[in-house]
Amino acid sequence: MKERTIWEQIADSFRSRSIWMLHYCTGCGAMELPPTMTARFDMERFGITPMATPRQADIMLITGYLNTKTLRRVIYTYEQMADPKYVVGFGSCTINGGIYFDSYSTINRLDYYIPVDVYIAGCMPRPEAILEAFNYLMEKIRKGEADGWKRYKENYDWYKQNQIRSLGEVYVHDEFHE
Amino acid sequence: MVAAYKALFNLVLGFFLVLSLEGVGRKITARVQRRIGPPWYQNFIDVFKALSKHPFSNGWVFDFGVLMALGGAMATAMIVPMGSTTWTPFPNSDNFFVIMYLFAVGALGMAMGMVGSGNPWASIGVSRALTQMLGYELPYLIVISSTIFYYKTASIHKLVELQKNGWNLLVMPLGGIIAFISLMGMLGKKPFDISTAPAEIASGPMTELSGKYLGLLHIMHVFAMFVEVSLFVDVFLGGGNLGWYLVKFIVVWVLAVLISSVLPRFRIEQMLKFYWGVPLGLAFLNALFVLLGWTL
Amino acid sequence: MAMSTLLVSLVATSVVMYFISKASWKIGAILNFLIGIFLISYVFALSTGTTSELGTLFGQKLQLIWTNASYYFSLVSLLVIVSVMLFAIKWLDSQKYPAAFNMFLLMMTAGSLGVFMAADLITLYIFWEIAVLSSMLIVPMGKKESRKAAVVYAVMSASGTYMYLYGAFLAFQRYGTLNISEIAKHMVSDPSTGIKATIFLLLASAGIAKSGIFPLHTWLRIAHGNAPDAFSAVLSGQLVKLGSYVLMVSVAALPSLKIFSNIPFYSGIPATNYFLIALGATSIIIGTLMAIKQDDMKMLIAFSSVANGGYILIGIGTMDPIGFEGGVLHVFNHALAAAVIFMAFASVVYRTHTKKISELGGLIHKMPITFLAYLFAIISLAGIPPMSGFISKWMIYQALVRKGMFITAFIAFFGSIGSFLYVFRPLAGVFLGQLPKKYKDVKEVSPIMWLPMVILVTISLIIGIWPFPILKPIEGMRMDFGIAPTMKIADSSHWLIKGFAGNWNPVLVFNLFLIGFVIAYILYTLFPRPKKVDLLAPHKKEGAPINIYTGGEFIYNPDLYQYNTKFYAGFERMYEKHPSWEKLLEMLAKFFYDLGEWVHGWFFRPSPSAYTFWVTLTILIVFWVRW
Repeated sequence: MKERTIWEQIADSFRSRSIWMLHYCTGCGAMELPPTMTARFDMERFGITPMATPRQADIMLITGYLNTKTLRRVIYTYEQMADPKYVVGFGSCTINGGIYFDSYSTINRLDYYIPVDVYIAGCMPRPEAILEAFNYLMEKIRKGEADGWKRYKENYDWYKQNQIRSLGEVYVHDEFHE
Repeated sequence: MVAAYKALFNLVLGFFLVLSLEGVGRKITARVQRRIGPPWYQNFIDVFKALSKHPFSNGWVFDFGVLMALGGAMATAMIVPMGSTTWTPFPNSDNFFVIMYLFAVGALGMAMGMVGSGNPWASIGVSRALTQMLGYELPYLIVISSTIFYYKTASIHKLVELQKNGWNLLVMPLGGIIAFISLMGMLGKKPFDISTAPAEIASGPMTELSGKYLGLLHIMHVFAMFVEVSLFVDVFLGGGNLGWYLVKFIVVWVLAVLISSVLPRFRIEQMLKFYWGVPLGLAFLNALFVLLGWTL
Repeated sequence: MAMSTLLVSLVATSVVMYFISKASWKIGAILNFLIGIFLISYVFALSTGTTSELGTLFGQKLQLIWTNASYYFSLVSLLVIVSVMLFAIKWLDSQKYPAAFNMFLLMMTAGSLGVFMAADLITLYIFWEIAVLSSMLIVPMGKKESRKAAVVYAVMSASGTYMYLYGAFLAFQRYGTLNISEIAKHMVSDPSTGIKATIFLLLASAGIAKSGIFPLHTWLRIAHGNAPDAFSAVLSGQLVKLGSYVLMVSVAALPSLKIFSNIPFYSGIPATNYFLIALGATSIIIGTLMAIKQDDMKMLIAFSSVANGGYILIGIGTMDPIGFEGGVLHVFNHALAAAVIFMAFASVVYRTHTKKISELGGLIHKMPITFLAYLFAIISLAGIPPMSGFISKWMIYQALVRKGMFITAFIAFFGSIGSFLYVFRPLAGVFLGQLPKKYKDVKEVSPIMWLPMVILVTISLIIGIWPFPILKPIEGMRMDFGIAPTMKIADSSHWLIKGFAGNWNPVLVFNLFLIGFVIAYILYTLFPRPKKVDLLAPHKKEGAPINIYTGGEFIYNPDLYQYNTKFYAGFERMYEKHPSWEKLLEMLAKFFYDLGEWVHGWFFRPSPSAYTFWVTLTILIVFWVRW
C-alpha cells in the first residue's frame, strides 16, 4: 500500500470522525437503524449522521438482500457518491445471500459488484453490532485501510464485468425504458 | 487599514464562534432528547472533512453560485458591527437596509447555483426558501422600521449607542419578541426548516452538493447565521464590550436551539399563515405604539 | 439644431424611413440605430434652460424647454430605445413587418422626446399622442392576440389621455395659460382646493394609465405580453416611463406640497399625494401577487412593471427629498432592467418560439450570455447590491421609514421580497434546470442581439458602484422643483449616499463583495478539483441516464426531471380564488357589449315584422311631431 501524505493522514482522521451515511434500505436491516440513531444507542456521538442524497454521503449502508433490480440502482447510487466513499454490508444477505440465497434473482455476494469495506454478520445484526462495526470502520479509515473506493477505481473493469455478467442487458437498458 | 483588520476579525470570529455554537447546539438538542450527542467541535470536523473530499460539479453556474453565495455572506459578515462602535469595521456603511440586501446576494447566489445543478428537488427547496423569506421578513422589517423610526437612525452602531440607557428589547418588548420569532425563520431552525427538509425533498437546495461545495456552503451558512444573530443582538440587546456581546450572542443562540429542539416542522402554507397572522399583526401594533409614543 | 427642428425632422424622417426600410429593412434598422446614437450625443450636448418654439395652435404657443428632468428622462429613454434599435438589426428578420416597425419606432422616439421637452400641457399632449399612437401600431405586429392587445392598450391609454386633456383645459380656463411653470404659480395662490385637486388628479390620470397604476393597469399584461418581443422592452423600459414623467410633472413640477398644504393627511403628505401613494401601493400588491403566478414569462415581467410603477409613484408621491430621488432613480433602474429582461426573453423566443416558462428549461447550456445578462438584470430589478436597483429601493425605504408610513413601507417590503420570488421563476424555469430534448440544437443569439443587453447591464452595474453621475441630474431636478434644496444626498467627495438615518458607501460595498468573492475563490481552489457532471449526457447519447440524484431511479428524458410548472405552488394555493380587477373590467365590457347587442337586435332583426314595427313607429313619431 502506498504511503499516505501528511495531508491525507489529517484528512483521514477527519473522515473517521465524521461519517455521513446513506442508508440504502433494501431489506429488514433498516429496522435496526432507528434504535441505533436514537436515544438508546445514539450514533451521533461518533459523528455519524444520516444524509439525504448520495452526493453528500460518505458511507453507503446496504441493509439487506439485493436482487438484480436493486443492484443496478445500488451501483448507480454508489457511482454518484463522492470519493472517498465506503460501503457497509448489513447482515448475512450481503455476504452470502442470507435465507434467500437460492432465489433466481438474489445477489449472493455484494463484494463482486462493489467493494465492501465492512461486513456485519448476523440476521439481523443488533445495534450493538452495528456500532461495533462503525467503530471498526472508523479505525480502518483512520489507518487508511478502508480503500474500497480505490480498489473500485483500480479494478473497475473487473467490477464492471461482474456487474454485466449478473445483470445482463438489463444493466444497459432499463426494462421500463422505451 | 484598521477597518480591514476589524473586518477580518469579524470573519475569523464569526467562523469560529458560530461553528462551535452549532456543535453546542447539536449537543443541547441531544441532551434534550436524552442522548449524549457529538462533541462541541463536531462541526469543524464535518466542514473540514467535506472540504477534503473529491466533489462533483454540475456546470459552471453551480460553481459560480457557490462562490457568489460565500462571497456575499462574507461581505455581509464583514460589515456587521459587534456590539459597540469599537467593533464596527465600517461605521459609514453599516446601514440596516444595506446589510439586509447585501445578505440577499448570498441567498440569490446559493439559489441560483443550486437550481443550476439541474435537480428539481433543489428547485423545490429554493421555491420554499423564497416563500419562507416572504413569511419571516415582513414582520421583521416592520419591527426594524419602527425601531429605526423611533431612534431616527438606521445605522446599526448608532442604534447600539442609543441603547445605552436601556435595551431596545425593554423599550419595545413586543418588537423584540416578533423579531426573535422571525429570527427563528431566518436561521431555518426547527419549525421553519421547510426549505431543507431532508426527509421530504432530499435536503432541498443541498441535494446535489458534494465535498467542498457542501463545505463552502456550510461556511456560507455559518456567516449568514452570524449576521442574523448579530443583527438581532445589536438592534435589541444593546451594546457593551466584546465579551458582553458574545454572552448575548450565545444566549440568543441557545434559546433558539432550545425552542427548535422540541418542535416539529411546519408545512409551507402553515408557515406563511403563522407569520402573517399573529407576528405580523403584533408588528403593526408595535409600530402603532411607536407612532403614538407608547414605548416603555 | 433647435429642439423644434429636431422633433419635426425626426417625425418626417420616420416616414422616409418606411420607404428606405421597404427597400431593405436592414439598412433602415442600421440607419435607425445611427439616428439613435446621434440623438444621445445631441442630448448630451444640450444645455439646461434652452428653449424653443414649435409654432402656434389656436393662439397658444407650443413651447419646448430643456430642463434637468428632460435631460434625465430623455437619456434613460434613449438608452433603452437605442439598445432595442441595435437589437432589432438582427431580431427583425423574425418579424413580418420590419419596415413599419422601423418607422413607428422612430416616430415613437420623436414623440417621447417631445413629451420630455414640452414646456406646456398641450405640447405634451400632442407628442404624447404621437408616441402612444405609433407604439400602438407596433403592438399588433406580434401574435394572434396582439390585435386585441392593441385595442385594450389604446382604450386604456385614451381614457387616461382624455382625462389629462380635460384637466389641461380646466387649468387653461381657470388660469388662462397652459405653460406648466405658470400653472404651478397660479395653483399655489389659488384658494379653491376642489378645483386644484381636480386638475391635479386629471393630469395625473394620464400618468396612472401609462405607467400601469392600479385601476388602469390591466393593459400592461395584455400589451406587454403580446407585443412583438423586442418591442416589449421599449414598452416596459421606456413608454411606461412617459407615465412616470407625467406623474412627476403633476406631483413635483406643480409643487403639490405647497399647493395642497391646507389638506395634510399624514406626516405632512397632502391627501391628494396620499391617494396616489395608495394607488401605487395597490399596484405593488397586485403586480407582485400576479407576477408570482404567471406562467408566461413576458406577462410575468409585465406585472412586475406594474409593481415597479407603484414604487416610482410611491417614491415621487412622498415628495420627501430622498424619496423623490429614489422614485426618479427607480425610473432609470427599472428601465434598464426591464429592457434587458425583455430583450433576453426576445432572444429566447427568437430561438425557441415559445414564451411559456413550463415549456422551457436549461437554456444556460445553450445561451450563456443571455443568461448572464438576465441574471444581472434581475439582480438590479430585485434591488440587490451591487447593481443600481438597490440604490433607489434603499432611498424609497429611507423616505417611507422617515415619514413613519409603516403600511406603505410594509407593502414596499412585500413587493421587494415578492420580486425575489417572481424574478427567480424565469431564471429557474427558463435558464436553469434540465434542457428539454427538443431544444438540443438551440444556439446562442448573434452578438448584435446580446451586445445591447450586455451594454445596458454594464451601465447598470457601473451606476450601482458609482451612482454619482446619474444622481447629479436627479439632484438638479430636485433643486428645480425646490424639494429641500439645502439637503445633499449624494456626496461624491466622500463616496457616500446620505439618508436621513445613516449613510452608505456603494464603492465600499462593492469592494467588500469582491473581497468576499476572492476569498471564496481562494478557498475553492485550495481543495480538490471537482469531477464534471455532464448534464447534457442524455442529449448526446441515446439511452444515457441523467447523472444527478434521482433517488436511485434511471431517468432518460430530462424533460421529466424539471420543476418549472407552478413554481410557488405552496404560495399560489393561498390566493387562488382572488378577486380580479381585470375580470371586473371584462364584466363591464361584456355588459356594454350585450347592451349594444340588445339595441342592435332591436333595429336589425331578420324578421320583416320588426322592420314594419320600426317603420310604423317612425312614421307615427314624425306624424305626431308634424301634428
